[in-house]
Amino acid sequence: MEILSNFFMGLGYLINIQPAIAIVAGVILGIMVGAMPGLSPSMGVALLVPFTYNLQPHVALILLISIYIASEYGGSITAVTINTPGTPSAVVTAFDGYPLTKQGKAGTGLGVSLVASTIGGIIGTIILIFFSVPLARLAVRMHPAEYFALAIFGLTTVASLGGKNWIKAFLAAMLGLLINTIGIDPISGVKRFTFGTYKLFDGFPLIPALIGLFALSEVFTRIEEYKLEKGKETKFDKKHWPSFMDYWKLKFAIIRSSILGTLIGIFPGAGATIASFLSYDLAKKVSKTPESFGTGNPEGVAAAEAANSSSVGGALVPLLALGIPGSASTAVLVGALMIHDLVPGPLLFVERPDIVYSLFAALMVANFVMLILGLFGARLWIKVTVIPKKVLLPAILAISIIGSFAVNYSFFDVAACLGFGIAGWVLKKYGFPVAPIVLGMVLGKLAEQNFRRAVIMGGYKIFFTRPASVILLLLALLSLGVPLYQTYKAGKKEKAGV
Amino acid sequence: MKKALAVLLLIAIASVSVFAEGDAEGTGTAPAFPTKPIKLVVYTGPGGAGDILSRKFVDIASKYTDATFVVENKAGAGGIVAMEYVAATKPDGYTLMYMTKSNVSKLVTTDSELDPMTFDWIAQMQIDPEAVITNNKSGIVTWEEVVADAKAKNGSQLWLGPAAGGLDHVTAQMIWKAAGIEGTWVPFASGGKAKAALLGEQGITYTGNPGEIIGKPDFSVAAVCTAERLPQFPDVPTFKELGVEGLENEVMWRGFAVKAGTSDDIIAWYDDIFEKVTNDPDWIATYAPQGNMLVHVTKDDFNKIVQADYDAYKAAR
Repeated sequence: MEILSNFFMGLGYLINIQPAIAIVAGVILGIMVGAMPGLSPSMGVALLVPFTYNLQPHVALILLISIYIASEYGGSITAVTINTPGTPSAVVTAFDGYPLTKQGKAGTGLGVSLVASTIGGIIGTIILIFFSVPLARLAVRMHPAEYFALAIFGLTTVASLGGKNWIKAFLAAMLGLLINTIGIDPISGVKRFTFGTYKLFDGFPLIPALIGLFALSEVFTRIEEYKLEKGKETKFDKKHWPSFMDYWKLKFAIIRSSILGTLIGIFPGAGATIASFLSYDLAKKVSKTPESFGTGNPEGVAAAEAANSSSVGGALVPLLALGIPGSASTAVLVGALMIHDLVPGPLLFVERPDIVYSLFAALMVANFVMLILGLFGARLWIKVTVIPKKVLLPAILAISIIGSFAVNYSFFDVAACLGFGIAGWVLKKYGFPVAPIVLGMVLGKLAEQNFRRAVIMGGYKIFFTRPASVILLLLALLSLGVPLYQTYKAGKKEKAGV
Repeated sequence: MKKALAVLLLIAIASVSVFAEGDAEGTGTAPAFPTKPIKLVVYTGPGGAGDILSRKFVDIASKYTDATFVVENKAGAGGIVAMEYVAATKPDGYTLMYMTKSNVSKLVTTDSELDPMTFDWIAQMQIDPEAVITNNKSGIVTWEEVVADAKAKNGSQLWLGPAAGGLDHVTAQMIWKAAGIEGTWVPFASGGKAKAALLGEQGITYTGNPGEIIGKPDFSVAAVCTAERLPQFPDVPTFKELGVEGLENEVMWRGFAVKAGTSDDIIAWYDDIFEKVTNDPDWIATYAPQGNMLVHVTKDDFNKIVQADYDAYKAAR
């Protein structure tokens, strides 16, 4: 087992003061970056790149990779405690995490998200270490027609996300898709709905929209309730820390989501957010109690967090095996490697195995460090839920504005965030869920670009001549049809009962 | 009387200090520029190639000057956001911007009202030739094989690359014209994603720069748009050698600009810094192996290059 002996050699590099500090510092910074709305994992990694110039290359990489993995977990903290996803992929974590907090079970939400993230991260790393070469070969064969079919499949999860409310969920997803049409058309360069201002050339940015739709709309709703001083209903109960048995019950959900998350992570152009949505949907579909999803089912939190953390290992597959970044964060890692005159790609295994294997070892160790720090930290973060609303709501407002400004240092983004906040508040008032808007914005780009790219490459028939595309499209049809039929039948029964 | 004396004394002291100050400015003993940090605006997000180059420049420049450079990322709209931002600053030299040839093409393709001469283009630092890159395992590796395949496919040969209308796309169209072949451009969200698709044999070629294949043994450079072979890639033929004329100087360039109207003294200060960085061993060691030509073209000539590029893009539209 050459891989294993190399891996232990990599572990050896870590037993040193500098790498050890790098891992701990990276994990702490990563958790903070993730928890801060507006700082996405890729921005966190990018912000730290200049600090790594004068470090030894493997220490620099260890620091950055620790930030990357911990920030995918950090996003869940604010998603669970205050319904403000710190990262786009934590949107899915909030579906069940925040209802848990509302029931006084924030401990369950935080505990499950931490453990699921850790196990997801470890499974992703194992798949990366052992299967990166064949998986990368598979990833580059993914044709635009298949990316399109995957995006459509992802969009159909709206049907099950929405439940009884599916019509409103669909309309919300449509709104997300429409928002996506704003900006310069990515294929032919035509300006669409830009109203002559260059600020709209890239359309509405995802992160300020996300902050507005989730955090600000929540603040507005709460202010509307007026009963700020009566913030007692979020009193938490110490008994709700999950026990080992509670975690054991989630084992299948976590392992399944981790494998799915890693697989989706390897495709350049898919990513953590899509991985979370799809594995949440899968968990709901195979569950015996699908109706409990969205009302505080720990399995939903586990599925989302295991998937987005495992996608880190997946995203590193094409980077290390082929030299091609699989996500925004790994694109930043390419830059960080180049500064140290290291070129990511298959030759790195031959020329600098010390770098590659210390990276693998660091990924593994960082997950355990995250678990330990997270267990201590969770007792601190849970305190967020007992902060009086008079203090908490203005704080969320301030963080939202800083966070949306931080993305591009632009006041346009702050205004967009406020606009999305008001829109989200109004939509929620009329019973429209906001998560499908995010899904529409994330998947709309993927669907549109790849549809048109596929047509350029092989005409309209290409979607039906490539087996993988056909299978994904059929799955999409089933994924859409089955829940709708069930809802229809349930509705009929209800009527008959009345 | 005493009062009058006191006033006179005050006037004397004041005038001495005024003249003294004037004298110091006149002889230039105190450094006039810079007296505060210089903002270096980068039009890509942190971690992008332009960001890395700018930070490398700052790192090396710090060997030669005490001036502080602060890199500020202003991503968006393919560089238009950053250009609008710099265009709105004062021409005092404290805002420097990283620029590439694609900023010039963006001005044209987005119908921007900004004139390229809103800026003084003060230093062209790198010239990176365009090249056609192929997949070693696809069976279509050399330029002759690409041409034969293109003729067999009669226009449906797929050329992969970044956004439509960008520098690489325009270069590909010029190559088709010069070589008498036809192809179909497939735009991807980034060069990296297009390269991934080439590895997956979803198309025949990728148009980019030779440095992009370093460390990636699955790729080959079929031909390069220079007059002579690149010393870093001695086995790669030029289009000229292959009998395709008119592609000797299709390049991507990278450099720096300030707001037009910046004083000559300040530009002379920058000229000195850029000259020192160009000759710095660390700069050369980082960028020479990538197939770049490392140059230092100063304001007057660089402005002419930019205007010519802009006019050519306009004419092609």
